[in-house]
Amino acid sequence: MRAVGAILISLVLTTAVIGNAYYQKKQFYPSVVYITKSNPSMAVIYLQAFILVILMGKLMRKVFFGQLRAAEFEHLMERSWYAVTETCLAFTVFRDDFSPKFIALFTLLLFLKSFHWLAEDRVDYMERSPVISWLFHIRVLSLLLMLGFLDTHFVCHAYQSTVTKGASVQLVFGFEYAILLTIIVNILIKYALHTVDLNSENPWENKAVFLLYTELVMGFFKVLLYLAFVVIMVRIYTLPLFALRPMYYTMRAFKKAFNDVILSRRAIHNMNTLYPDATPEELAAADNVCIICREEMVTASKKLPCNHIFHTSCLRSWFQRQQTCPTCRLNILRTPTAPSHAPPPQPAAAPAAGGAAGPAPAGVAPPGLGMAPIPPGVNPFQPFGGPGPIWHMWQQAAAAAGQRAGDQQQQQQQPRQQQQQSSGSGSGGQSTSASGSGANAPSNQAGGASGGGAQPPQQPGTSTGSNVPVFCPFPFLPFMPPPPMPPANFAGLSLEELQRMEGHARENVEARLQCLRNIQLLLDASVTMMHQYSMVVQSTARMPPPSSPPQASTSANNTSSEPVPKPSVTPAETRHKFEKGDNLEGAAGPSINTTTTPTTTTTETGNSEASPVNDETREQQEIRRRRLQKFAQTSQTTE
Amino acid sequence: MAGSALRRLMAEYKQLTLNPPEGIIAGPINEENFFEWEALITGPEGTCFEGGVFPAKLIFPPDYPLSPPKMQFTCEMFHPNIYADGRVCISILHAPGDDPMGYESSAERWSPVQSVEKILLSVVSMLAEPNDESGANVDAAKMWREDRAEFNRIAERIVRKTLGIPTP
Repeated sequence: MRAVGAILISLVLTTAVIGNAYYQKKQFYPSVVYITKSNPSMAVIYLQAFILVILMGKLMRKVFFGQLRAAEFEHLMERSWYAVTETCLAFTVFRDDFSPKFIALFTLLLFLKSFHWLAEDRVDYMERSPVISWLFHIRVLSLLLMLGFLDTHFVCHAYQSTVTKGASVQLVFGFEYAILLTIIVNILIKYALHTVDLNSENPWENKAVFLLYTELVMGFFKVLLYLAFVVIMVRIYTLPLFALRPMYYTMRAFKKAFNDVILSRRAIHNMNTLYPDATPEELAAADNVCIICREEMVTASKKLPCNHIFHTSCLRSWFQRQQTCPTCRLNILRTPTAPSHAPPPQPAAAPAAGGAAGPAPAGVAPPGLGMAPIPPGVNPFQPFGGPGPIWHMWQQAAAAAGQRAGDQQQQQQQPRQQQQQSSGSGSGGQSTSASGSGANAPSNQAGGASGGGAQPPQQPGTSTGSNVPVFCPFPFLPFMPPPPMPPANFAGLSLEELQRMEGHARENVEARLQCLRNIQLLLDASVTMMHQYSMVVQSTARMPPPSSPPQASTSANNTSSEPVPKPSVTPAETRHKFEKGDNLEGAAGPSINTTTTPTTTTTETGNSEASPVNDETREQQEIRRRRLQKFAQTSQTTE
Repeated sequence: MAGSALRRLMAEYKQLTLNPPEGIIAGPINEENFFEWEALITGPEGTCFEGGVFPAKLIFPPDYPLSPPKMQFTCEMFHPNIYADGRVCISILHAPGDDPMGYESSAERWSPVQSVEKILLSVVSMLAEPNDESGANVDAAKMWREDRAEFNRIAERIVRKTLGIPTP
């Protein structure tokens, strides 16, 4: 009612102004001159023009959209408010060009923009509307074609004008219409996708993926356009404040599209590699309805480790947001698909290789055994999608070392060692899965190898609940941390334990803290152990190097399945750690000297004969031994 | 084929019409727009809301069922878990990512397995047993804890109001 009133008033005013002018001047041209010269008359004419434009817009809207939905109207109002503000900001940059034509062009731009927004909303709504009539298709198509044509025309016009007359406000128009053109292309692609989907009998599963990629590519073009525009504007005029807000939103949308694509790709990848397709029998056993879309599963469906079955496409879109099973909320990334945890309760191998390595290789042996202090139970990398490569390497090395221990100790008659020998050689076979026994073995072996000087500060076996014979004759470390109770392998954590660590309640936080503390203890322990290694190296350097050890470790190398070059790399790392350990803890006295020697002398003899010598590896060993001596010297000098 | 959100909403509507749960009516306000529903919930028996019929509005996001709908009572409500403007605050309506109250475990959050029916049933049980730990309406939570008689009196007034019976 108010709108009609405003229209009528403006109409009456215009008639009055024109009538008055004609009444005074009697002729056409003088009256036109009179109106343009008089400011009040011009104001009325402008008002009338504005109202005519709005009426025109309403008419066009009726033709192309019919009744607007409430959400569309709200959206339109919100966006046009911003657009008007930004236009006012643009006026400040181009105040020299200010003229009625300039305002008319901006008004036209605003109108076209609002039609683009409405078209976008309409096409988005296609997916949610139960009935799509022919009228809808005709309207959308004709509107898109018309808008696309207008955009191209204005872009060309702006380009021509800039080329012929130099940079002017046409730059802004050209850029704005170019942005609008990308929007049109985006809408067209969406429209095509939706139409294809609507006309197909079965749901089109890849549509969401296509939409994602469209969004990404179009977002990229828009970001490029905005960047180019800002650069040009800064060089010619000044910083275009009015373009900053849309630029920010465009960049944010692009980032989101990028993230979405990455997440989607990850979800697809996970699904294709980790989860098996559900078989018809499994589908029949379940009630055959995908709980996400509530439709029958006749098309591709996947089974999760928790035995819940869903449509592949439904799962994909859900995994993009959450990596949990929709039904039981099992975290699918934390749960390995194959039941890989078989906690070996057998006592792990212990100082088996005590004889294998003499005093000198005590520092050499750790390459394979460097991980010894880290018990197999604790693997902080595991939650992030399975064992990392380092962990694998460690486990293999551990298994190899275990095997080595078993092989070499055949002549040794100590009952304890026999017991461990079996577990050691057993673990040698299963390289990764038997990480429990495999990694335990070398840890104790390291203890023996260094004559006990490098006894692991805590027994990893405690985690798996195995009763490893504690081989710890060295109480000389007052700061030795008590054996923590590290969680068994995260994969082996029970659902309860995992759930206990989720959430924000006090107990959950405490559980997490406990877990972190365990990890810290383990880290401390490994630092301690490194320190001890370094002391052993020092002590061995002070002693005259015995002749047999190289052979002993050579044999160890022969039997191990490891590639030969690896040990030659690792000493560098260990040495690095030694120095670190020295810095951290300060050097302890060379008291190990006395303790190491007895053990080594006893074991040395049995081993030097037991191992066959290979020429190639001997060379390698010689190099390694010399390098070690050098390390020892450097570490001495650094002290 | 229409969008998956639309198909799922249609399926749920059909299910709710064929097997309506006791004390709950729900459906789209307008059959041309399946993303806005209206629901009528009767107050659970044996509670202070007994006998009331409470209208509510459900707004579904375009990516339903991946995101939860929003629910808002359109009548006056006085309840610890309902904001003054009628919005309902229960964990089942919160996406697993955000935690407005900082106390909910992810196990009770939204997941595509939930449905309109489950939401409305949860709301009924919320009416019966308010959770005064999470105060969407702090006044109501305080009164529920400290002055139950007054709370019951207000609830009765609201029940009468929804039924159009003048308060005595």
